[in-house]
Amino acid sequence: MIGDVLTWLNDPAHWRDTRVDKGIPTQLQTHITFTLIALAIALALALPLGLFIGHTGRLTFLVTAANALRALPTVGVLVLLTVIISPHFHGRTDLGFVIPTEIVLVFLAVPPILSNTYAGVQNVSAAARDAAAGMGMTGTQVLRKVELPCSLPLIFSGFRSATLQVIATATVASYVTLGGLGAFIYDGLQQQDFPQMIGGGVLVALLALLADLLLATIQRYAVSRGISGRFSTKSVIPADAATAQVRTAEASTV
Amino acid sequence: MILADSSSSSSPLHFWGYFLDHRAEDLRWLWDHTYLSLIPVVIGLVIALPLGWLSRRYGWLYPPMVSISGLLYTIPSIALFVMVPPLLGLKSLDPLQVPIALTVYSVALLVRVVADGLASVPEDVAQAATAVGYKRLSLLFRVELPIAVPVIAAGLRVATVSNVSMVAIAGTIGQENLGRLFDQGKQLSTTGPYYPPIVLGIVLCVLLALTFDLLIVFGTRMLTPWRRAVVGR
Amino acid sequence: MNRKAITVGAAAAALALALTACGSDSGKSTTSGSTGSTGSGGSTATIASKLILGGPPEFKTRTDGVPGLQKNYGVVFSGYKVLDTGGPVTVTALKNGQVDAADLFTTDPSIAANGFVILQDPKNNFAAQNVLPLISKAKATDGVTKVLNGISAKLDTAGLGAILTKVQNDKQDPDAVAKQWLKDQGLDAAGTDAAGVTLTVGSANFPESVVLAQIYAEALKDHGATVSTKLNIGAREVYVPGLKDGSIDLIPEYNGSILQYLDKNATATSSDDVYAALQKALPPNLVVLDQSKAQDSDAIVVTKATADKYGLTSIADLAKTQ
Repeated sequence: MIGDVLTWLNDPAHWRDTRVDKGIPTQLQTHITFTLIALAIALALALPLGLFIGHTGRLTFLVTAANALRALPTVGVLVLLTVIISPHFHGRTDLGFVIPTEIVLVFLAVPPILSNTYAGVQNVSAAARDAAAGMGMTGTQVLRKVELPCSLPLIFSGFRSATLQVIATATVASYVTLGGLGAFIYDGLQQQDFPQMIGGGVLVALLALLADLLLATIQRYAVSRGISGRFSTKSVIPADAATAQVRTAEASTV
Repeated sequence: MILADSSSSSSPLHFWGYFLDHRAEDLRWLWDHTYLSLIPVVIGLVIALPLGWLSRRYGWLYPPMVSISGLLYTIPSIALFVMVPPLLGLKSLDPLQVPIALTVYSVALLVRVVADGLASVPEDVAQAATAVGYKRLSLLFRVELPIAVPVIAAGLRVATVSNVSMVAIAGTIGQENLGRLFDQGKQLSTTGPYYPPIVLGIVLCVLLALTFDLLIVFGTRMLTPWRRAVVGR
Repeated sequence: MNRKAITVGAAAAALALALTACGSDSGKSTTSGSTGSTGSGGSTATIASKLILGGPPEFKTRTDGVPGLQKNYGVVFSGYKVLDTGGPVTVTALKNGQVDAADLFTTDPSIAANGFVILQDPKNNFAAQNVLPLISKAKATDGVTKVLNGISAKLDTAGLGAILTKVQNDKQDPDAVAKQWLKDQGLDAAGTDAAGVTLTVGSANFPESVVLAQIYAEALKDHGATVSTKLNIGAREVYVPGLKDGSIDLIPEYNGSILQYLDKNATATSSDDVYAALQKALPPNLVVLDQSKAQDSDAIVVTKATADKYGLTSIADLAKTQ
């Protein structure tokens, strides 16, 4: 079984596009494109909103509302949006299917980013905030120079879990005719070609792993040393109940 | 004719009428969906408790445990569903494929949650309990686990809610559950969108997820009376 | 402190830039990918080389799918788009011009409703497709056989089209349509022919297969069998293994498709030849019962506009140059 999957992955024919089939590089690129678009939109929506809610303490119901989005069944929303949107697009365009897919992926990515950003800003110690205000910083300066850097670790972990979910879920794009690595899974399922199907699953898992490594590396260099405790022998932030709780709340998948 | 008309309305708001027309089938799928979402979490917790405890007790186990569970979690659910039968030598359409795959996800999620939950027990509390005379096992069950309940419950909420969504995906490969409503809606959207089954499926899935969530929140309150005592003071 | 804030900002900005750059870049290449392979025109290009075909995933590899069209007619499309199994996604894609030709089923009411043109198949790429029950030998008792053969004797293509219209267009419940059809045909009388038999009826993942499976299931129930159903399983590649390992016991089939699935080199095309060849090709634990007159075959379908533009009436026309 494992041997068959490796053979499938190794077969040069599966790395080339033909008239009928798209190869691994093309589907990988499509998958990454779907993922990046969804993450960029989600980040643009959730990050400023989370910072605002955390900083001002207003509109906190939005965080609860976003978390309630998790209860929506992904396939159901995808099918609903597809039957509404896709008939309105004519000609050689996939937009009628791309738009519903991206909406579903953004729905998935917003809650972890939003709730982690909010929790991160909210958890900044009052002492640090007061000190900054005492130094004469304005509200925006406190947010930019104190609250944002301090909450960066949590924001990153929210973004990382959003990335994992979006990569895993982008496979359902193939349920509504689109490409991406999910095409190998759904095609393999219908053709009863298990090596192809499992090969697709392996590729998705690999992509998720690499993306997480990349983000971990970026996080390492983006987060201030004073906060991450990097290079220091003693951890600055104790592993207390609050962080543990936030960490568990962010994980979820399709 | 009037009857046929009412049952063929494709308005999104007709989902309740659709439910009444197909009550037997829909209730069966709701029940299937319920136990398919629930049982894996229960089994997952039973497996994750000792694993989480081990990785808390022996610190070197924690990083590999977290990496492996994180990796398992990145496998798309649809891929895991179809991989389970050939890997375990089950029949190709075995109804067990869904609960087994979901149990894997639940374990992957809960191992880390249990370990983090146990880590959330303040060191001085554990020391005090040891001083009072608790031995290792009774310390775990009577002090550490109860204190970890809120963290573990948060993990259980995430696991059940995401399971409800994942079970629906299994409906698209022929397993009997609420996900079949989405497939039906898709197949019947021939002359225009046919909303009732799709909307009904979403409504029932959300209600199911919210019910589970409330039950876990309620259960957590029952299990952690001291938290209310503190709030009430 | 200040320097750190700048570093963080720069990293975030770089990330954002990278995201948008990658997004727009690969977005562009995806669009060009879907249109880029269109033939360059000229006198040697066939009509098909300007068109995109759409259909279910397994049509890419099925003997009577893309390979069959090339072998029998020399028709090579410029691309293939995976849609669904003769369902609304395929219909919408064809109607809206995402694809130019599609694999649909001949009984599909959407073909007439949208004025689509079915291309003739003079070389019988698609074999005869009579509806018949495929059942595991252990469950095909004399009583069960009698009940199912009774259904096949009454089922014809027009009747099948009418059934499908009720399900697809009028959104009637397949189970109710099945019961009504049995009643209309006088097949709903209770009996004991199948008493004591326990079986699971399966169906493929399209409405016609579902309603046929319901007809089988209801009739067997009327005759005393204990019946459970497992509907919408998927493609043949998924449910035939299920029949072999006993996950399901009975499924409505189309004789040409199941023959080609079992024997890739099958050449029979007429109903009777296919039926005869099928007897030899079946695995030892499966049997087919009597075939009905109802046919529902795959067909290559184009819009009226495309048919007029290129003068298409048959699949062979697609191989002409223009």
